[in-house]
Amino acid sequence: MSDHAHHSVVIPAPGPGFQDHVVAHHFDTADQEFDACKLGFWLFLATEILLFGGLFAAYFYFHQMYPETFVACGRTLSWKLGALNTTVLLLSSWTMAMGVRSAQTSQKGKLLVYCALTVLGAAIFMVVKFFEYSAKIDHGFLPGRFFTDPAGELAHLEYPNMFFSIYFTMTGIHGLHVLIGAALIIWIMFGAKKGRFHAGYYLPVDLVGLYWHLVDLIWIFLFPLLYLVP
Amino acid sequence: MSHATHSHTAHDAHGEGGHHHVASSALFFKVLVALLFLTVITVAASRVDFGAANLLIAMLIASVKAALVMSIFMHLKWDTAVNRIMFLSSFLFLALLFLFTLADLSTRGMEEQLQRVAAPVADQWKHPNPSGGGAHH
Repeated sequence: MSDHAHHSVVIPAPGPGFQDHVVAHHFDTADQEFDACKLGFWLFLATEILLFGGLFAAYFYFHQMYPETFVACGRTLSWKLGALNTTVLLLSSWTMAMGVRSAQTSQKGKLLVYCALTVLGAAIFMVVKFFEYSAKIDHGFLPGRFFTDPAGELAHLEYPNMFFSIYFTMTGIHGLHVLIGAALIIWIMFGAKKGRFHAGYYLPVDLVGLYWHLVDLIWIFLFPLLYLVP
Repeated sequence: MSHATHSHTAHDAHGEGGHHHVASSALFFKVLVALLFLTVITVAASRVDFGAANLLIAMLIASVKAALVMSIFMHLKWDTAVNRIMFLSSFLFLALLFLFTLADLSTRGMEEQLQRVAAPVADQWKHPNPSGGGAHH
């Protein structure tokens, strides 16, 4: 053990175009580094579930108190755009999974292509979201005290602003995660281009992949709750 | 299959840890198809009026989709037990949050009943027996 302390553990590159991975000095082995980082990341993802969980609790609470409001306000959202974005996110989750697989099998070109496709999915998602938000803002369907509804479309309802508070908070925080995820995937692409990731070392690709799947996971619940209000 | 050889090399480089599992492309594709199919089912089910069961059905389908994403796309199926417990424990705490929120929600509008039971007790707390006590002065 003690003689290890002065030597860095190196995972050799699997071939030309790839880089060696030097294990951080405070780890004894590559496996220890991998396991420690993954455990930490899963803990972080658990806190993400709790963050969104609080918002879901708020949704269920107010849905239960004002069911007519929630159903009517949900109808102002386009379920077709919601379904389109669901499909886009599911496809991008698949391309990300394939990207991680490409890193695990040292396929640099494929990793870059799958990452690029995932970022494209993120971009389409945000563009659709932009048009959806614009429509809501045009109608004055805004959160809390910013809710105006000048045409009086939802005037017959109790607290319609409550639905839009929840809608904008949940989709807003989710959208922020989409943007952060896309930025992280672009960062992965820079590393991939340099050949940093291969069968011997793909940890960052794996972790960013997990983050991206979490974004998909949250949306799987948001879509039926907001666009198809039961 | 060149992929199979690759994944074996990865295994050998790290020793025998189950968490370096390389899932097959075919499996990933099947999961994608299942997820898209379940999305169609979600929309279709929302068109039928099942009353209060609509919410339950929507959440049930979403949970199946989530389980697919977590176990296959996120490799949780092949991950270490400690990672699985770490992540899945968050759902336990989420259940606690939902449970207590539900307890609040289902006792709303019961003020009168509570008043009837609790008012005499509360009265005693507000006006403790004036003749007794008074030891600390």
